[in-house]
Order: sequence, then C-alpha cells, then structure tokens
Amino acid sequence: MPTADRQLTSVDRVVLKRVMDLVIPPDGDFPGAGGLGLAEQLERSSQRYGRLRSGLLSVLDAMSLDIASRIEGGFAALDEERQIAALKTVETNLPAQFGEFVELVYGNYYTDSRVHERIGWVGRPPQPEGFDLEPWDPAVLENMRKREPFWRQVG
Amino acid sequence: MTEEPTLHQNEQPVIAVDGLLPPDVVDILIVGAGASGAVVAWRLAQAGFSVVCLEQGRWVDPALYPTRDRNWEILGRHEWNWDPNKRAAPVDYPVNDSESEITPLMFSAVGGSTIHWTAHAPRFHPSDFRVKTLDEVADDWPFTYDDLDPYYDLNDMMMGCAGISGDPAMPPRSPRPMPPLPLGEDGRHMAAAFERLGWHWWPSDNYVNSMPYGGREACNYCGPLGFGCTRKAKSSTDVNYWPEAIRLGAVLKTYSRVSEITVGNDGRATGAHYFDRAGNVHHQAARSVVMAGNGVGTPRLLLMSKSDAHPDGLINSTGLVGKNLMFHPYSITTGLIPGLSKTWKGPMGNILMSQEFYETDLRRDFVRGYAYQLNRGSGPLTTALGGAHEPVSWGAGHHEDFSERFGHNVILAGIGEDLPEEHNTVTLDERLTDSNGLPAPRINYRLCENSKRLLDHSVKSATQVLEEAGATRIMANPLLRSGGWHLMGTARMGEDPERSVVDGWCQAHDADNVFIVDGSVFVTAGAVNPTPTLQAIALRAADYIAHERDDLKG
Repeated sequence: MPTADRQLTSVDRVVLKRVMDLVIPPDGDFPGAGGLGLAEQLERSSQRYGRLRSGLLSVLDAMSLDIASRIEGGFAALDEERQIAALKTVETNLPAQFGEFVELVYGNYYTDSRVHERIGWVGRPPQPEGFDLEPWDPAVLENMRKREPFWRQVG
Repeated sequence: MTEEPTLHQNEQPVIAVDGLLPPDVVDILIVGAGASGAVVAWRLAQAGFSVVCLEQGRWVDPALYPTRDRNWEILGRHEWNWDPNKRAAPVDYPVNDSESEITPLMFSAVGGSTIHWTAHAPRFHPSDFRVKTLDEVADDWPFTYDDLDPYYDLNDMMMGCAGISGDPAMPPRSPRPMPPLPLGEDGRHMAAAFERLGWHWWPSDNYVNSMPYGGREACNYCGPLGFGCTRKAKSSTDVNYWPEAIRLGAVLKTYSRVSEITVGNDGRATGAHYFDRAGNVHHQAARSVVMAGNGVGTPRLLLMSKSDAHPDGLINSTGLVGKNLMFHPYSITTGLIPGLSKTWKGPMGNILMSQEFYETDLRRDFVRGYAYQLNRGSGPLTTALGGAHEPVSWGAGHHEDFSERFGHNVILAGIGEDLPEEHNTVTLDERLTDSNGLPAPRINYRLCENSKRLLDHSVKSATQVLEEAGATRIMANPLLRSGGWHLMGTARMGEDPERSVVDGWCQAHDADNVFIVDGSVFVTAGAVNPTPTLQAIALRAADYIAHERDDLKG
C-alpha cells in the first residue's frame, strides 16, 4: 500500500496522462481525459480525499511494476493494445483501488465545463437558477380517477 | 473538480444555544433535533412545558448547501454523503455495518436526515397497522390508521405537502395545502406506460413547495434536493418546526452529544449526561426524557445507559432494545429510453408512485408488498459512476455507454416491506468509537426470504413497464446495499410489556417518564417512506403528554 504523502514523479505524470486517455479516450475531435490537460488537476484533487489518493498511487505503482512495461522500458513505450492489457491486469488484481482511480478520472472529466458543453449539460451549479418544467396538469389523472378504490379494507 | 470545493461548514461555539437559558430541571428533555424531535419540541412548548433538546450536530446554513457549488456532485460523494462512515465528520458517529446487507444512512444536524432527504411523503395504508390479523405475520400495531389520520393531516400542514386527493390506492383524506409538483416529460411518459398495462400510478405526495408556502419559496426544480435545498422549498424541520418551537420557548443546544440517560433509584429518568464540542461533560436534569435519535441512534444510547435499575440498558427488561431492526430493502431498475433526452431535469426525488403491488396477493410467493417510486436521472458525474449500477465502462466503449445513459435514464425504485426479525440488530461495537470515545453501533442484518422474493418480483415488473415505455436497455440491481435510509423497529411499541418496549403512546413500559418518538417504535415497516408516519406518531405522543401527563410539568 503506497503512502498517501508520496509525491508523483515525472515518470508517474507521463504515465498518468496516458492512462487517463485510455480510461476516457478522445471522442472524434474532442480530446480524452489526458489530452484535455486534466492530469495536474487530478493530482491536486486527489490530495483532498485520502481514499482516492490511495487509488491513484496504487494504480501508478502497479503500472510501474508491470512486467511488460519493465521489459520494454516503461509503460509509455508499450503499444496501445499492451497498455490496455496492463491496465486491465491492474483492474483485475486491485479492483477497489482501480475503482477509486476511475472515480478520480471521471470526477475531473465530468466536472469540466468543456465536457459539459460537449454532452449538452447545463454547466452551472443547479442553484440558484434551477430549471423550468411545464406546470402541473390535473387532466393527466383522468384515467386513474376512473379506477375503483383497491386499498385493503381493515375490519 | 475544476475548483477546490468549499468546506460548507459554518463556525460554531462549543455549545450553541437557541432560546432563553432553561431552568435547572426542565420538564422535557429531547435527544435529537431531527424529524421527530422537532415535532415534540414544537407541540410541547406550545402546551406550556419547558423543553430542552440536545443535538450532537449543528445548524447548517441552507445558503451553504452544495447545490450552489459547481462541484456539487463531488461534495455529495464526500462531505455531503448520506453515509456517516463516508462523511466521517466529528459530529457523526461511525457505524460498523460490515455484517449488514444494507448500510444505514443518516445525518447529524438540526433537521437530521430531513436535511438530505428527497422529501417524499406517502402515508402507510390501513392494512399496514393490521398485518397479524390480515396476513398472520409480525404483529398488529396498538392503534389504527384512523387514529393517526388527524396527526398525518396536521403534519402535512406543518411540513407543507404538495399532492392531490383521489388516489384509488389510499383511503379518502383531507386536501393537501398545495397542488402536486409537475410530472415533467419523463413522468408523463412513464405514467402513460403504467396506464397501458392497467397498473396504478399517482403523483407523489412531497414535502416540497409547489407554490410559496409557510414563508418559504416555491421549488425551482433544480434537481438534487437530496443535498439540501438552498431556497428552503424542500421542507426540513430546521426551517419549519424548529423556528416555531424556539419562538414558543423551546431551547435547542447543538454540538451536544448525549452519552447516557441518567436514572434515579426508582429507575425513572432524571436527565442526561452530554459532551460539548470541547469534550466537557455536562448534565441536564429533566422530569422526562424523549428519545428521538431514530432506529440506530436511540437503541445505541439506551444500550449505553446501564444502571442498577436497568442493568441491560435503559428500559430493556425485555431484551428487545436494538432487536427487530427493519430497513426498507430497495431494488433499483433503470431503463434507458432513447425517446427521452433530459431526464436530469426536475427534482431528483420521487415523481410518481405506483402501488399496484402494495397489498398482499395470495397468488404471489410472498406476503405484503412493495411500491414503486419513479426517480429521475442525475448529473454527468453521477451518471458516469453508475448510481445504483455498474459505472460507465472505461476504454473504447466509454462514450457510447455514457451517451446511452445520460439524459435517457429513468429509475424505478422498488421499496419493499421488511418484516421484523429478532436477529436483525443494533448492538454496541466493542472496538469502534465516535469522536468522544463512545461505542459505535454495530449492525447485523440479513434479508429474509420473503423480502428476496418480493424484490425479485419488483425487478420483473419494473422491467415489464420499462419495456412498455420503450426502454432499449435495462439495468437491474436487486438489492441496493447503500439504501438504508429508513431505520425502524429497534424499540417496538405494543400493549404487552413482555413483547414491546413502549406502549401505544410511546411511553416506556419500564419507566413512565421515558418516551421514544422515532422510527424505533415501528411494529412493522409498511412499504413507503416512514417519515410522515413517525412524525404523526410523535405528534400523537406529544398530545398524550400534553393532555395526560401534567405531572411532568414543573
């Protein structure tokens, strides 16, 4: 188990950016999570929540220990297919930590205003503006009102 | 996570006192300022009793709720999580839930769990109070639906209920003070599917303002009311009952964690020891004690309050304190409907309800029944993380999976009636403690076979109606583990002192000046959210004290 106060190395940061792009790849001309430049922010946000920090460090440590990576001279040197295979191995061996890492990646990607615009989400806090809904229409109950009461009588 | 989330905590002194300083010995000491404690404080202050309430949490300023923060979805998973083990704030107590199939959820603050509830406000059915007579399971309650009806009505007025009369699944009742919330596109779509199958649906009763009411604004349909309502359009007892109770003379002390109910030589309660935020111990003397810590907090404190007169814990001569824990087990079935595009638009809580399968039907392989709650989708992060289901897949299929879900997901929550079983318990953990070193509660809970069959049925029927609605993909979770919103049964009521902890007026059999007014007293669980029922029970108990227990008034 890595210590939560371990700092990321420059190699870690290269791996992190690449892994983020594997987790959320580019979508057409829209960059993936790594290409959007969210790695530094992810590193910062992980320091706020210990559980997620632990997931991040566990995944990075596991990637650095991956046999294929070590033979080839590092994770970045692997082709995409083998990078994905390495990541799936981590997911299998460390499911909880991998889940926390994915939560971090999703958390940074899906709170980004560029992503909100891309997916058609209203990129603002829900309050104070809220949303409009069509007013209540009592006519929708016309059919239900015809049904006989069916609650169970108690003697 | 584009900006650092703010802490959303307002600074408070060691003990914050709202109201005039109380006399040395008060008439009524309430433990817990949540849904039911607020009710009793209001009613008994109105009746001229001196009232003090001790609350371990704090006042939370609605202006600081997460929904004003662009990172509201992240805050909701951490600082504002419904699970006290995940919030891990000093005012929370941890819960050892490792041996429970459902994790309990709660919130320590003035208003209690009404701060983070979605304010769905259904009533029990008349049959819920007579399950032994009708179905030969569990026990009957010591009163009937009709006994509770006027208190339901009073509570609906105080909390502010939006809804409409005429539901064929329920007895006739008084009009609500406000019309229902709008159904929205997804609500109308699903209502039509229920109708095509010939199944019941009805707009939900909600304690959410559909128009200005009680000095509070109307809902603006922002969505995530489960993380607090900055407009106070969603009702919680910190914005309705408590301000009135304090105006009437009740005193509320926050950051005050009760460690023991004290008793005299006669075994009657004399008050309570409590910690302030700095860890100092105080004693509040009282002529009577009203427990309002709900189905986990109340038995925990009773079990901690051992004395010569009550060697197994306060009012526990039967050994039933902490036993018969009931949750409402939930199934979650989510349909992805391409014809809908913005299912995140509108209040997150219940839109409509179906009680087609509520009452016992001997053709099924289970007794009692369940209800459906139709819930909306949520924001992008919650969608990506899956909600009650598996997260959106990572890798090559990610965007396709996300696009299929986001804005197209409608959620049918099947809420089942749990049956009381003595092996489902709240006890004191031998190692885990809260921030004052007091033992944490330990939950042992297993789902019974009846509940499993009932939940399986709920998934099958939900699948049927979602297919009718045009869902192209359906995801099912037959038991939501993180769904322990409703905590009931751990100090049950009844007329037989050997088979119950309190009587039908919520008065302890073992000590006539101890009352319990929260979900602990439930004999059975029904298959709807319990808060209106527990508040109505609390109002009824308070009326009893006001009219029959003048001896408790100094």
